[in-house]
Amino acid sequence: MSIQVESLTKHFRVHQKEPGLAGSIRSFVRRRYETVRAVDDITFEIAQGEVVGFLGPNGAGKTTTLKCLSGLLYPTSGTVQVLGYTPAKRDPDYLGQFTLVMGQRNQLMWDLPAIETFLVNQAIYDVPEAEFRETLDELVALLDLEPLLKKQVRKLSLGERMRCELAASLLHRPRMIFLDEPTLGLDITAQQAIRTFIREYNQRTNATVLLTSHYMADVTALAKRILVIEHGKLRYDGDLQALIEQRAPYRLLRLTLDHAVDSADLNALGTIESRDGLEVTLRVPRGSTRDAAARALSTLPVEDVAIEDPAVEDIIREVFEMGEVNA
Amino acid sequence: MRKLLRVYTALLKANLSEALEYRAQIFLWLISSIFPLVMMSVWLALLSEAKQIAGWGQADFVSYYVGMILVNHLTGSWLLWDWDDDMRTGGLSTKLLKPIDPFHYHISGQLGWKALLVIFIVPVIVGVAVLSPLVTFPLNFLTSLTFILALIFGFILTTVIACTFAMLGFWSTQVRNVYQLWFGAGQFLSGFIAPLAMFPPAVRSIAYVLPYRGYLGFPLEILTGHLTWPDIEFGLITDIIWITIFFILYRMLWKAGLRRYEAVGA
Repeated sequence: MSIQVESLTKHFRVHQKEPGLAGSIRSFVRRRYETVRAVDDITFEIAQGEVVGFLGPNGAGKTTTLKCLSGLLYPTSGTVQVLGYTPAKRDPDYLGQFTLVMGQRNQLMWDLPAIETFLVNQAIYDVPEAEFRETLDELVALLDLEPLLKKQVRKLSLGERMRCELAASLLHRPRMIFLDEPTLGLDITAQQAIRTFIREYNQRTNATVLLTSHYMADVTALAKRILVIEHGKLRYDGDLQALIEQRAPYRLLRLTLDHAVDSADLNALGTIESRDGLEVTLRVPRGSTRDAAARALSTLPVEDVAIEDPAVEDIIREVFEMGEVNA
Repeated sequence: MRKLLRVYTALLKANLSEALEYRAQIFLWLISSIFPLVMMSVWLALLSEAKQIAGWGQADFVSYYVGMILVNHLTGSWLLWDWDDDMRTGGLSTKLLKPIDPFHYHISGQLGWKALLVIFIVPVIVGVAVLSPLVTFPLNFLTSLTFILALIFGFILTTVIACTFAMLGFWSTQVRNVYQLWFGAGQFLSGFIAPLAMFPPAVRSIAYVLPYRGYLGFPLEILTGHLTWPDIEFGLITDIIWITIFFILYRMLWKAGLRRYEAVGA
């Protein structure tokens, strides 16, 4: 097993403050703390080479778990083993074998071209020159970095910077990759480039990948298996497609109408999810999506139609509303 | 060790190129060099009424404060600000993910700026010392060596002190203020406001065993020829003791701090 997590728990003590000046004064005299259970008794295992998606609403404990796996945080209790190491001990041998890419964090030196950060990382990870050149060439080709290498990082666009960020994180050929929102804020093209890259990297190197993302497409494109976490508790561990079909047995039919129609006509096709002027979104059973779309086109004044999977957050939310799920 | 050398070379190169990007900052920073000269003019004004103060004449004060520009820059450290930024913004997390201690990032950052200094300031000070009859640095081979050693000790001392205070950032967000307080208190006891020779013997002997003198007054007194051998030895040993104390404190706080690090903002 390349990751073994048993009964991992992480609590934070959070300082509580009432609003306003009076609250500030009260909190100055006497601090009140509340314990937040960011991660609460989580157990899972991941094998070498697996790509696993880590899902859950904001504040569910995904990032906290990744930080425990990376050795940034000491667990409050429970044990974590990654590649046979205990991350919190911060053994340099372990630190040299994984990478944590955070979509909102920058390791590139802001005022210098990305290549400078790459060279510093080469020294820090002690990568021999030949291997470094080879990996760099590969990454440059895969991520299309050639035109970016000599530009100051602060002059790059968000998408360009993220590609450089990924390259900087992978120059030491990590066997374990943690990705926290790697496509955050990127446009569709850039998201796709990153996804394709991660998939190819995984196939070529058999590195284990654990990623969190708010974009359904990231997760569906990359991970077969998902872990769902909410309020620090692990709610689901298993196949992604099975979860979607089982727990969200519907898809979304988005219609743009030419003129207003009766709700009854829409209800005949599916449940109305939202209605905003002439834009209507219907929930349609997964099996009959095509039927419903065809019927909409023939019975309603439809200008445009689209079929989508519900947003991953929505599925997850529904999963939680239905209560505990078992794999 | 060879690996560490490679890391430092790479970081130094990067830091130096980064420092050179900030031309305006370098300029402002050179201007800040003149603070010691402000203190000097105060003492020269006092001297216009008396020929000597505590045995020090005009040339002594001028040499002392011109030398201070150099010592101040070479032993000075804004490590605390770097650490503090890192802890507040989550930059520390990025560094903690790397297989080297974040300490090395900060030190090489400091050394990058020091290298710039050697290029910009040392020639100016040497020029002034050669051209101005008032500025004399009566160094011989041995005292030159001890001066350089005292400078290195002074730099290490400010480094471990800054690191120690920075570690309080794991518990508090007021670290900058605490450090300012410490540093402000040091302005009297380091020899900045007045050379320690101006103080009554009782105060002076306290200042001699405190850590403040190590990074300012002590190297300066060697440079200006106000210190002789057994006193130099005493100063060097005091430096070593304080470096050891602060280093141990820093590492203890670092270990304890990491346990409660919350990796905020990252």
